[in-house]
Amino acid sequence: MTRYAMVIDLNTCVGCNACMAACAMENQTPVWKNKWRTYVHDKEIGMAEQVRRRFFPRLCNHCSNPPCMTVCPTGATYQRADGIVMIDPERCMGCRACAMACPYDARYEVSYHDIKEGRAFYGEEELQRDSPGMDKCSFCAHRVDKGLKPACVETCVGSARLFGDLDDPNDPVAQVVASGAAQPLMAYLGTRPNVYYINDMKRRG
Amino acid sequence: METMTYSTQDIWTWWLAAYLYFGGLGAATLSITFLTDMYCRANPRLVLWGAISGVGMLALSSLVLFGHLLHHVAVIYVINPMVLFQEPQAWIAWGTQFILWMMVWGTLYAVPYMRESPAFLRLPLLGTLLQTRFAIWLSGCCQKRRRIVGWLATINGIGTAVYTGLVIQSFPAVALWHNPGVPLLFTVSAFSTAFAYLLIVLYLGKPSEHHELLTRRYELFDLILIATELVILFSFFNYTLSGSESGYRSAQLLWHDMGWLVGFMGLGLIVPFLLNLKGVVKGWSTSIPTIAASVLVLIGGYLLRHYFMYTGVYAYPW
Amino acid sequence: MTWKFPDFSRRTFLKITGTGVAGLTMLKSIDVLSKTGSPRAKAGAGGPSEEITYSICNFCSSLCNIRVTTRTENDIKRIIKLDGNPNSTLNRGKICARGQSGLRQTYDTDRFKTPLIRVEGSKRGEAKFRPASWEEAYAYIAKRNKEANIQPWEWTMVGGWTSCVFYMNWAVPFALTNGIPNIIASPMQHCVTTGHLGTDSVTGNFNIHDEVLPDFDNAKYILFVANNASIGAVSTCRMVRFAAGRKNGAKVVALDSRQSETAAKADEWIATRPGTDLDFCLAMLKTMLDEKLYDADFLRQHSNMPFLSYRDAEGQWQLALDAKGQPRVVQERSSEIRALPAYTNDNGLDAQGRPCYPALHTPAGLTLDGHRVMTVLEAQLEEIRACTPEWAENSTGIPAATILRIAREFGSSRPSIIDPGWHGARYGNMMMLRRVQAMIQALTGGIDKPGGWIMSGELHRKQAEVIKAKAEGTAGGPPLTTLAGMPFAKLVIDVFSKGSNFGHGKPGWAWAFAAQERKAGRPWVMLPVLADTGLKESVEGTLNYQGEPYATRAILINAANPVRHYYPDSRWKEILAHKNVALVVAIDVLPSDTTMYADVILPNSTYLERGEPNVYGNGVNHDLTLVTRYPAIAPLYDTREMPDILLKITNILSGKDDAFMDTIEKLTGMNAASVREKMAKKIKDGVKSPFSAACREVAFDMAAKEAGITAPQLDAAFRQKGVYLVESKDRLLERAAMPRKLPMPTDSGRVEFYSGLFDGLRKMGGTAPNFSVLATHIPAECRPGATSILADDEFYFTYGKAPTVSYASTNSNNPVLAAINQFKKDIYTTAWIHPARASYLGIVDGDPIRITNSLTGQAADGHAHVTRLIHREAMFLYSCFGAENPALTRSVGVGTATSKLIPYSVEPVVAGFRSQEFTVRIKKITQKKGATT
Ligand SMILES: Nc1nc2c(c(=O)[nH]1)N[C@H]1C(S)=C(S)[C@@H](COP(=O)(O)OP(=O)(O)OC[C@H]3O[C@@H](n4cnc5c(=O)[nH]c(N)nc54)[C@H](O)[C@@H]3O)O[C@H]1N2
Ligand SMILES: Nc1nc2c(c(=O)[nH]1)N[C@H]1C(S)=C(S)[C@@H](COP(=O)(O)OP(=O)(O)OC[C@H]3O[C@@H](n4cnc5c(=O)[nH]c(N)nc54)[C@H](O)[C@@H]3O)O[C@H]1N2
Ligand code: SF4
Ligand code: SF4
Ligand code: SF4
Ligand code: SF4
Ligand code: SF4
Ligand SMILES: [Mo]
Repeated sequence: MTRYAMVIDLNTCVGCNACMAACAMENQTPVWKNKWRTYVHDKEIGMAEQVRRRFFPRLCNHCSNPPCMTVCPTGATYQRADGIVMIDPERCMGCRACAMACPYDARYEVSYHDIKEGRAFYGEEELQRDSPGMDKCSFCAHRVDKGLKPACVETCVGSARLFGDLDDPNDPVAQVVASGAAQPLMAYLGTRPNVYYINDMKRRG
Repeated sequence: METMTYSTQDIWTWWLAAYLYFGGLGAATLSITFLTDMYCRANPRLVLWGAISGVGMLALSSLVLFGHLLHHVAVIYVINPMVLFQEPQAWIAWGTQFILWMMVWGTLYAVPYMRESPAFLRLPLLGTLLQTRFAIWLSGCCQKRRRIVGWLATINGIGTAVYTGLVIQSFPAVALWHNPGVPLLFTVSAFSTAFAYLLIVLYLGKPSEHHELLTRRYELFDLILIATELVILFSFFNYTLSGSESGYRSAQLLWHDMGWLVGFMGLGLIVPFLLNLKGVVKGWSTSIPTIAASVLVLIGGYLLRHYFMYTGVYAYPW
Repeated sequence: MTWKFPDFSRRTFLKITGTGVAGLTMLKSIDVLSKTGSPRAKAGAGGPSEEITYSICNFCSSLCNIRVTTRTENDIKRIIKLDGNPNSTLNRGKICARGQSGLRQTYDTDRFKTPLIRVEGSKRGEAKFRPASWEEAYAYIAKRNKEANIQPWEWTMVGGWTSCVFYMNWAVPFALTNGIPNIIASPMQHCVTTGHLGTDSVTGNFNIHDEVLPDFDNAKYILFVANNASIGAVSTCRMVRFAAGRKNGAKVVALDSRQSETAAKADEWIATRPGTDLDFCLAMLKTMLDEKLYDADFLRQHSNMPFLSYRDAEGQWQLALDAKGQPRVVQERSSEIRALPAYTNDNGLDAQGRPCYPALHTPAGLTLDGHRVMTVLEAQLEEIRACTPEWAENSTGIPAATILRIAREFGSSRPSIIDPGWHGARYGNMMMLRRVQAMIQALTGGIDKPGGWIMSGELHRKQAEVIKAKAEGTAGGPPLTTLAGMPFAKLVIDVFSKGSNFGHGKPGWAWAFAAQERKAGRPWVMLPVLADTGLKESVEGTLNYQGEPYATRAILINAANPVRHYYPDSRWKEILAHKNVALVVAIDVLPSDTTMYADVILPNSTYLERGEPNVYGNGVNHDLTLVTRYPAIAPLYDTREMPDILLKITNILSGKDDAFMDTIEKLTGMNAASVREKMAKKIKDGVKSPFSAACREVAFDMAAKEAGITAPQLDAAFRQKGVYLVESKDRLLERAAMPRKLPMPTDSGRVEFYSGLFDGLRKMGGTAPNFSVLATHIPAECRPGATSILADDEFYFTYGKAPTVSYASTNSNNPVLAAINQFKKDIYTTAWIHPARASYLGIVDGDPIRITNSLTGQAADGHAHVTRLIHREAMFLYSCFGAENPALTRSVGVGTATSKLIPYSVEPVVAGFRSQEFTVRIKKITQKKGATT
């Protein structure tokens, strides 16, 4: 079996936003309304002299127990055998229940208007979707299926994003997850996320 | 590792609050009228009032939802009853089916009554329709299996009311929503608003049969339901105060908001509770206080859903 | 026994219910709408086709290699994705946000689509244009040129870095052919010259963007000093290496007045008072010299540290050269004086060929020719004796103990890197700062060595050839393509500073102005290489050369945006709008704040639409690699290529088309006869930019020949991989590591602590400490004359680049980047100030503020970002915003322009901008308006 997962090493993410741009171009996100499949936050943390600037990339966690899928009444949200949580844009009626259910703010809307904008922006011929509905990160399933890495991983100038198969004991991603060095977000919600983070807090600031 | 950002949502806003409100209200209205008709006293005019306004509210609620959809064609997947087998875990699937079938059974239950009502038969298009062979046959069938139809409608009605709570309970990130109290609260509120609505209908529409009896009973039920709602809300208050950051932030939003405190808690619950209490215990000399209480309950019912949608807090770890 | 929970995932729940309802399949779902929703799955066989071409990113001098994916459907070919070229050892298959979004420049709806001519009766700056054909546009230029009787020297060219890097081989011959001695070029006085001349004086490196590319992968300790965009924010070729180094466990320290993107990745962020980095580094240098934290053998063998020197009667340091001009050293553990060859990389053999072991320290009281002599190392220590950590604590605000600790950590963990960044400008002392950094780096022996600074493959190639030609006594090749390092810089200086190189006898106005100011006893600039000093005066009519007025009356702006990129913007607006200026021509792809002031705008194709006229080296790559651009799609609009535009303008200005091609041949070796022949064919084939296309073919022939293959083979290799590897870093270092294997392109061939370059400039009359032959202290004068501490509302002004914009360039208008900038506007488009200061001024995060230059009164509005990530005394602005051209529909009005606050002030060596040498006052206002100046 294959279980895809991403590990994000906060120690080398420089907040360059290349992943956002790469994903937008690869997956035709509605940049005109500033919606993305992945975001990189730029946060100020720590007290007094320990103040730190932290870049925090996020995306859909491809939860093993995805509440977005549970609530989806049309079956548009589904999970592939390799764990990737997908949306079938033709089937999605856009009730947005999945967006309400997602604890990670991973989903955004594509409206009729966005489809129109998209035609002008990405080109009539090249626009990948012609029906409105919800959208979110697909782990670049179309690339992964061709043996490629997701677009954001491919271009990550900090090599902060790693992509791999948790079921493959030789995969570095599986190893770092198994070691406990990488942790998922809000695991207590029972979502069983598959995006893991390597903490950057060990360092002196 | 986690830093937190707290955020409310702008995905399901007052549109969806209206959907949940009219869905619950319509469903409970139908259930109450049919149960009254079946087990209390047959009451054709009340049934007509209840069925028409109930179906109307459900239709309105469905329209609101439909209008809110991003992709209207794909709604076909949830209208197809098979959705219950394909997506049994999705409450919206159940809810849609409940509402659809509620409207169907609700209408059917009312058909014999319509045929008996001269006013209906005089109506242009509907009047003619009601005179057709098919309508006569259908009306006969429904008449014969009145209780079955009534119970089918009622089950779907209760289902709908419960569903309005279950659907937001299925959003795990928000403590205010993700707890078993929500379906209960929304169901109680749905029935309480429905009683309030029917009280207004009884007082203003005067479907004369058993007026006294019904109003007194409805007032009593509403009082009990309001009291129950207050208890549930009190437990919510305690629940949200600790246990999770999401809940605590919701509590902060709710209990600092005048719309919630004065509008909903005060005018939507406590004032009508007191008015009804006096009505039940001592009685009022005019219908105005009861009508006023009912109007307040109706407004309160919407406010409850509005604030619930509005104050659900997501705690994001970034 | 414990309770056992069944492991029920929702999927298994579904499966169970699924089986339960298997019998109901007759009511199967209506799957009418659903197709497989996977993106681009729609591409069936025989349908749309995808194609890969390779190119070079055009958004910064990292010059990343890119792979372009296009798709053709219904005969429409569209660029759908850019990626880093996975075959590239420069950027290792990665590109940054600007690179990723690059295709949106081509599809930017705000692009120039035809030539434009300023509407009759409107003024420059009003940006009223009418579309025109190329013929009309050229006719307009010809007419104006003739009517106004513009003389060759009255033309000035302004070139952006794109035109420098990709078209220097055309731009310089264009200038020479047409008798134009005036070029203002990027990236010079507003970018690298100040900093690089500093490092270059030590290493001799000088190239187009001659930044060293440190070998971060293998470093154990990395110290960043006043740099950010060249690393983490972002220069991909360096960031990929830095990330690897960090993952490999390097300790990272960043000296920055705010927590930059790069500093955020450091183990230790040292918040320094702006302008005081030199003090920090001098204290480091002193500590390392004092405590012998250096690679003594490296210094002894490969640097001029052991050279004997003395202080002359004027107190100036001089080398104790012998009669033949050869440096002398003292043999270790003796008082024996030996002469060394003047130019070599190795001090191991003296001038007579005897083995030599030069001492770094002299015996007490050593004298020579009547002077008390000491080694350069001792002289350097002497020069900075006062620069103790305690002394530096006072100015930098960093505890002496920290400075001492960093010096010791750095000096004792090898390999270590002290990274100099790229952007020089900022302060008059920046050149010295970078110079001292190069010295510190050299102390560790970390030059051209794994884990240290490694020179580019191209520099190695050129220097190896220069040395070989020298040894064989043969003439070098064409100068623009073969000269390496400082000799190349000297050539450029030579060409434009000497009137004798031009028929009309006039040097560039910058040089005329320097002479005029010097004569008048006013401050003047020694080497105003490609700088703007004197332009304003020549426009306004106050510049004279040899008794005659030296006027500037026409300006050709080529891929440059001086209104935003030079300082202050008002100066450039005045110049461009000046009544004495008869003609302004701009070549660009997008409307900029500069093109608003043009009379004619000539639209260039975007980088993804063009095949370049040349085959290039691979920027700063350690590997020696060839690259070029292939057009991914045909030009979308009626656009032309740079060489053809320059050829056409040559025709208009001088009619010397042939001479232009001959000059190109002379300077670059590109055979003019072949170019003419191929061009004739291209014209016959109806190629839109035939000159460019012809040059490209000849360039392929040349490059292939040098690589020992055929042009079709080179083409095939490029098409397949996008890069052609000539020689790897390891092999280059084996044969051409400088100074271990080859002499460096410095005066002496060694790493120079005592600078031959500055010795020369001193002789030419440079007296300021900026011309010191040894490292010395120069204070930044942000508050001239002030003795008190900062006023309550006063801040040091600092700036730096945002990861998502190039300079203050037109790609702020790129829809993807503009959206990211919007998403991060609270951080990117605001002025950073510390809460301790802000609260005192009643400013909270997001408040509109007015920023006023305390020295000049220049003012601009902005919004405050109140953050602890900045030094309390500093204000920081991302230098990428403030566009004013309404035709930039997505970025106009966003943020605050640095060029509205920075005054005109340059340092005396190369006219580098002192763009941070002032303070600002900040006050809260009610609403942000456009600039107030
Ligand atoms: N305010 C401010 N000023 C700065 C800086 C800063 O950060 N802020 N940085 C400084 C530094 S480090 C540098 S290197 C310089 C860089 O300054 P420049 O060299 O001037 O920068 P560019 O943005 O490359 O060039 C400017 C123009 O080139 C156009 N252009 C882009 N692509 C093409 C093309 O393919 N063909 C043609 N013909 N034109 C094109 C752009 O539209 C833009 O108008 O700026 C310096 N000045
Ligand atoms: N995103 C982006 N990246 C680029 C470019 C671009 O345009 N955009 N351009 C490329 C080019 S041409 C260049 S020249 C390089 C420039 O690359 P760099 O020179 O590395 O970068 P700057 O952005 O100028 O970064 C300057 C840093 O110095 C800090 N600073 C300012 N004043 C002081 C001071 O007095 N002391 C100290 N210690 N720190 C100070 C600022 O806070 C800032 O973080 O970037 C290259 N990379
Ligand atoms: S919006 Fe679409 S994907 Fe989301 S729950 Fe509704 S139908 Fe499913
Ligand atoms: S992150 Fe959100 S959208 Fe993604 S699988 Fe989990 S719940 Fe669904
Ligand atoms: S995996 Fe693909 S879809 Fe997901 S964020 Fe990365 S690039 Fe976007
Ligand atoms: S591309 Fe990589 S380094 Fe850059 S912001 Fe995204 S995750 Fe961070
Ligand atoms: S660092 Fe970014 S902008 Fe610069 S060349 Fe590379 S990809 Fe292009
Ligand atoms: Mo630069």
